[in-house]
Formats: sequence, structure tokens, C-alpha cells
Amino acid sequence: MTWRLRINHESGYSYAAPASASYNEVRITPLTTDRQLTLEATVTVRPSPPSRMLRYWDYWGTVVHAFDLHQPHEALWVAGRSLVETNPATRPPPSTWAEIDDPETVDRFSEFLAPSAYVPAGDGISDVADELRRQATPDAAVTAVVAWVSDALVYQPGATSVQTTALEALRGGRGVCQDFAHLSLAALRAAGIPSRYASGYFYSTPDAAIGEAMIGESHAWVEAWTGSWWGIDPTNGVLAGERHVLVGRGRDYSDVPPLKGIFTGGRSTSLGVKVELTRVA
Amino acid sequence: MGDLFDDYEIPHAVGHVAWDEMFERPGVPRAGAGGLHDALQALSHDDFDSRCAARDRRFRDQGITFSLSGEERPFPLDLIPRVIQWSEWQTIEAGVVQRVRALEMFLADVYGEGVSLKDRVIPRRLVASSKHFHRTAYGIDPPNRVRVQVAGIDVVRGHDGRFRVLEDNLRTPSGISYVIENRRMMARLFPELFAVHRVLPVDHYPARLLAALRAASPRQHGDPVVVLLTPGVYNAAYFEHAFLAQQMGVPLVEGRDLVCRDNVVYMRTTERERRVDVVYRRVDDDFLDPVHFRGDSLVGCPGIVNAAREGNVAIANAVGNGVADDKLMGTYVPDLIRYFLGEEPLLPNVETYRPEDPDQLAYVIGRLDTLVIKPVDGSGGYGLVMGPHATDAELAAACDALVANPRQFIVQEVVALSTAPTHVGDRVAPRHVDLRPFAINDGQDIWVVPGGLTRVALTDSSLIVNSSQGGGSKDTWVLAPQSGDDDGGRLLARSVATISGTIPAGAQLDLGPMPHPNNEQQQQQQQQARSC
Repeated sequence: MTWRLRINHESGYSYAAPASASYNEVRITPLTTDRQLTLEATVTVRPSPPSRMLRYWDYWGTVVHAFDLHQPHEALWVAGRSLVETNPATRPPPSTWAEIDDPETVDRFSEFLAPSAYVPAGDGISDVADELRRQATPDAAVTAVVAWVSDALVYQPGATSVQTTALEALRGGRGVCQDFAHLSLAALRAAGIPSRYASGYFYSTPDAAIGEAMIGESHAWVEAWTGSWWGIDPTNGVLAGERHVLVGRGRDYSDVPPLKGIFTGGRSTSLGVKVELTRVA
Repeated sequence: MGDLFDDYEIPHAVGHVAWDEMFERPGVPRAGAGGLHDALQALSHDDFDSRCAARDRRFRDQGITFSLSGEERPFPLDLIPRVIQWSEWQTIEAGVVQRVRALEMFLADVYGEGVSLKDRVIPRRLVASSKHFHRTAYGIDPPNRVRVQVAGIDVVRGHDGRFRVLEDNLRTPSGISYVIENRRMMARLFPELFAVHRVLPVDHYPARLLAALRAASPRQHGDPVVVLLTPGVYNAAYFEHAFLAQQMGVPLVEGRDLVCRDNVVYMRTTERERRVDVVYRRVDDDFLDPVHFRGDSLVGCPGIVNAAREGNVAIANAVGNGVADDKLMGTYVPDLIRYFLGEEPLLPNVETYRPEDPDQLAYVIGRLDTLVIKPVDGSGGYGLVMGPHATDAELAAACDALVANPRQFIVQEVVALSTAPTHVGDRVAPRHVDLRPFAINDGQDIWVVPGGLTRVALTDSSLIVNSSQGGGSKDTWVLAPQSGDDDGGRLLARSVATISGTIPAGAQLDLGPMPHPNNEQQQQQQQQARSC
């Protein structure tokens, strides 16, 4: 069944000394894809930029809002409000290893197979990859990755930071959704399965009542290509479905940061991220 | 009478007799170089030496220097010009134009639709893994569709006399200031040579560049504001930045002189802020915009990339061009020419292997001692291993590096670079040379400055010519064609031979406008030349 979700995402910074010459890019607008329809989306910034923001689609297909602020300001506040229709998960048809290993596939998805800063190759991973390759099909291997990551990591907020790599998280044995996603990508790529980082929102209650609002968070999961792309959420052990709202995809977190920028001024402190999701239909 | 060329011998290099740019065989100058040869041969040693002294004095006074590993040295101009025949030049010129056309189309495709990747002309993984493939440039459409306002296409000539492309430079190629200054210096020191040779001029390069930059302006009004963005005085090519800005009559700015607001770039002046339309930047991509690239860069202009994305400013050359001058990508340029233009390449590549391909890696690994190994994104000769001259330890290290990171290297056959007589110490000896022709694309035409920068390996038998490796340069002459033959300079050889003696004090030769040989004015000049 299709869900309709309203999302309110707020974040920002405060500055020890007023900031100026601040240049920023925001990636918080949900995508429209074959399983998600974005009905409304706005981005609001305080202090408000003197003219309209530049809006563009980046290389990865994510909607970007860019703005700059020159008047000194003590805080920056960014809000994204959107209304999105999502659909239940569908499992892709079974695939074969031959399909995955085809040189054309390998070339086409080289960006989603190569190691990256957050998703490096490493010893701890190659053993897992060997095991995954013994699975009957690539899609079975994807399911096995999720099981392996749930064993390897304990969900624990605060144990890792936004800079933590997949291997660091593996060594520490704990992490949050970003770490679960990065570690899954490391295993999938080592096994030769093209896979990408998915960034967005997650509604945690499966049987939410209409009109029920919940405090959520930004979320991350992965998409794997086994003949076609499909999403799977290693943190929650489910396929990406009607409770997942997709904002962007990339090789890893660094391709889809919700808010990034530079400024001149005093040290910045994050005001935190507040995400509120309401099921409206 | 002098004897400048008397003991000149043409050397062997990597198993071949090198092609000499002046001599067909010892003592016999090539067609077109005869006039120059005879005139120089007629000079006494004292005379030649005094012109060398005048050169050094003047270069030092003018501060025309190049930074060699941190030390500023006068740019070593060799006083024996290199002559390129008109017919040879036509091939180079057409080949360079063809290459730039194909590379422009490739860049537009890579940062747009990616059709050539879907058609697998170039493996997508090579583009995706290029350090200079900047995804942030995706979707930026330059106002007049030009991404390569300036290209420097390095060519070398092998023992068979054919020119081959060594590499493309599509980011911020430098060296044109030396081409112009070398010519000015030669005209001062040897006015008599220019009186009797019709050397195609190079000094309208700044005007052509300015025209191309103005044509790139997003605002279609009469007087676009063009600036030259330099990283500053500590940059190795700062002299060239200042030179070009001055010659074009445009402001020379640093990052702190620019400010971006609401995706419009302004220049701070003492009076007010002025909107900037075109930034001819000599700052590398990595430092250009800390919003998208290195956040610690202080020499760039924050926001300029999104200003270009919104179509409010043109960045020349465009962001991300490095993906097309990656040396591994260079090996595909002949395929790109066939694919995009439906033409056969006019200039072949130097034979190059791709270690990234396991079969080719296996092939080269056994014979690295006969090959050259180059990093794909190195420039200035850094990181290059010349197989025949390398020690066993160097070869072993190069081999390990190749196997570990095959994507990061190309391997080339050693070209026995052509030689040119060069003044070294107190004699004239053969030294290896290459050529960097410069092309300017204004969106309508691609124009190649006649000649280009001839770089000379000043060390005996060295095949590395980069100025950052201690190389020198030569004034490079393309001689206008004669009617009836293409033996440019020979016509007046006899009268040149009678010119000798001292340099006229403070001689300055106004060479006047030297138009392209295909137009009528040139015909007139030819008439005049024949009558004197």
C-alpha cells in the first residue's frame, strides 16, 4: 500500500563569533523515482538569503539548494519540508553471478564497485567477500550481507562520528546507520556487487496510524544492483519500502551530505538535527 | 668568418640517427633552413658571444625567469632558431585543431550526456577513476560551449621525421609568454634575420586570447569584464600571468580580489565592485573554489563554480578539463577523433601502452628498460622513469608501482627526439627538442599560434625537455610559403650570407603586421620581398 508522509527536517549551526562569507549547499529534498513521488518540497533558510537560492541536480541526481550569506549572523537554520508518496518494497527477480561479473556491468557500475574513502577495501572484508561469493545468487548474497553486518555491529549512537570509515566501525564493533551502510557497501563491493549509499528518512513504526507524527532522524541504507537496483536497510534488517524516503544516492556519505559549506567566523556548533515524520495517508 | 656549425654531428639516440631540425646530413642544411644556417655561419664567435651576453642582460633586467625547484633563473633562450617548414606546419596546425575539436566534444559529453561512454569509445571506469574527473562540473554548460579556450598540445618528432603527439594540456598550459618574449628578443638581437625571412608572427596571441575570452562571456553586451586570476607571486608561472594580463589589458587578480554574491562574481576595486563576466584562471581546479574543492584553499574564489553553473560567469579553461588530458585518456584521442568527427587523426600519438589492460601490462613489464614510464597526471616531467637510463633499483621500483597501481601510469616507447643545433658552452652541439603549439578556441575558430614553444634538453643526449627539469627553449619559426614552392627561407640566402658584424646598438625592428599567408596582403609582401 502506498504511504503518504510529511517530513519536516531542521538543522543548523550556531557560531562562537558571527559568521559571514558563508557558502552552503543543502541536500534535503526527496527524489522522485519509480517507487517514490515527491509532491511538495521546500527549503527555508534563516537568515534568509537576499535572493532566491540556486537549485540544481548534481551528478548523482540529488536536488541541491545552494546559497550564500554575507551579513554577519550568529546562527544558521535550514529547514526542509516535503510531502512524499512511497511504495512498498519489491524484491528483484533472481539474478546470476554471470550477470554481475559481465565486463560491461563492471564498467558501467565501476563507481559503485571501487573502494572509496569511507568504504575502503581491507583484510577484514575480503574473507566475507569470499563467503558471499559462495551464495547461490547475488541477491542471496545481498541478504547475507545484511545478516553479517547485524552480527558485526551493535547499534549504538555516539560510538562513531560522521568521519568514521567502514573498517573503523568494523574494528569498533558498533555504530549507527551510516556505519551499517558503509560496512554493507564494503562487503558488497568486495564481492563484486555494485552498490550505493542511500540517504533519506525512515519512519520507524510499521503500523503507523494516519496523522501520527513521530520524531525520526536522517537515515542511511544501501541499494544493490543484481540485474536491477533495490534498496535494503542493514540497520533495521528490512527492504527499503514505504517507510523509507529517499533523498540522495552516491558512493558513500560524502556524495550526499545534507548540509555542507564554508564560512568565515567563530567556531561553529551544530544545533542538532530534528526530523519529524507524519503519516498523512 | 665564423665556423659555428663546423664540427656539428647528428647524434644517435635509442638506436637511430636522430632527425636533425637544421641538417639533412652533416654540413647540408635542410630546405628552408639554409638561409638561417648561412647567416649564422657567417657570424664570428665574438659576435655570437656578444649577442648571448646581450640576451642574458636583457632577460635579467626584465625579470623573465622560470622557477626551477624553487630557484628563479633567467629563461635560457638558445639563439639558434628552430625552423619549421610551411608544409610541416600545415600538418601540425591541422592536427592540433582536429585534436582540440575532438577533445572539446569529449568534455562536453563527459560532463553531459555521456554518449561516448554508453557507446564504449572509452571505458567508463577510466573516466570515473580519473583524479581530474570533477563531478561538480557535471551539468555546467559554458555560455559559448567552449571549455578549452587555451590548449597546449605537446608534439615530438621521431627519427623518421614524423610529428607525434606526446600529451595534451587542457587545464592551464603555460609557456606562451616565452614564445612571445623569445621572438622579441631574437628580433632585437638579430634584426637582419627577420629582414630577410618571412617568419609568421606570434605577437598577436594576446589579442586572440582576449577575443576568445570575451566571446565566452555569458552577458551579451559590448564590453564584458575579463580578469586573469593568478594564485600569486609565488606561482612558478607568475611572470606569464602578469605578462598576459598586461598584454591583454585586463586586471590581474588574486582570489581575495574577487567576491561571489548570489552566484555572481564581483571584483573589488578602489571605487566599487565591478561585475566580472569571464575569469581566465591560472589557478588549478583543486584550489579554485573551496566550496567544492579543497576547503583550505585561500587562492580561489568561494562560490565561483556555482556562479558558472548558474551561467553568470565563464571560467576559462573550464573546471574538470583534466579528465581529458589524463595521459591514459590521451591514448584514446585517436578513437575520439574517429568517433566524434568521423575523421582519421592527422597527427598520430606516440606509441603508448596502457598498463591498466592486463595484457599490455604483461607485455611492458618484461621490457621496461627500453620504455618510458609516466604517471597519468604528472606534468613537468616529474615522476617520469626513462627506462634506458634508469638503474636496476629505479626500474624495480617503477615495476612495483605499475603492478600496484596500473591505472596511474602509462608506458611509452622512447622516442628518439629530433635534435637541433644548440649553443652549449663555447660550441654548437645537437640537443633534443620538442614542440608545444598553443591553440585558442573562441567558439567560432580554433587558431594555432604559428610555431609554439620549442623546449630543449640542455643536457647532452637527455630526452627530457621540460623547463621545470632544467630545459631551455628556442625561437620557433614557421616560414611563410613561397609561391611555387614551400622552401621558405632559402630565397635570400645569398644576401643574408653577406650580413655580419655587430648588432646595431639598441636595434629594434618593427616587424609590422604579418598576416596569415593566405590573404592578399601577404601576396604583396612576397612581391616586395622578391624585389629587394
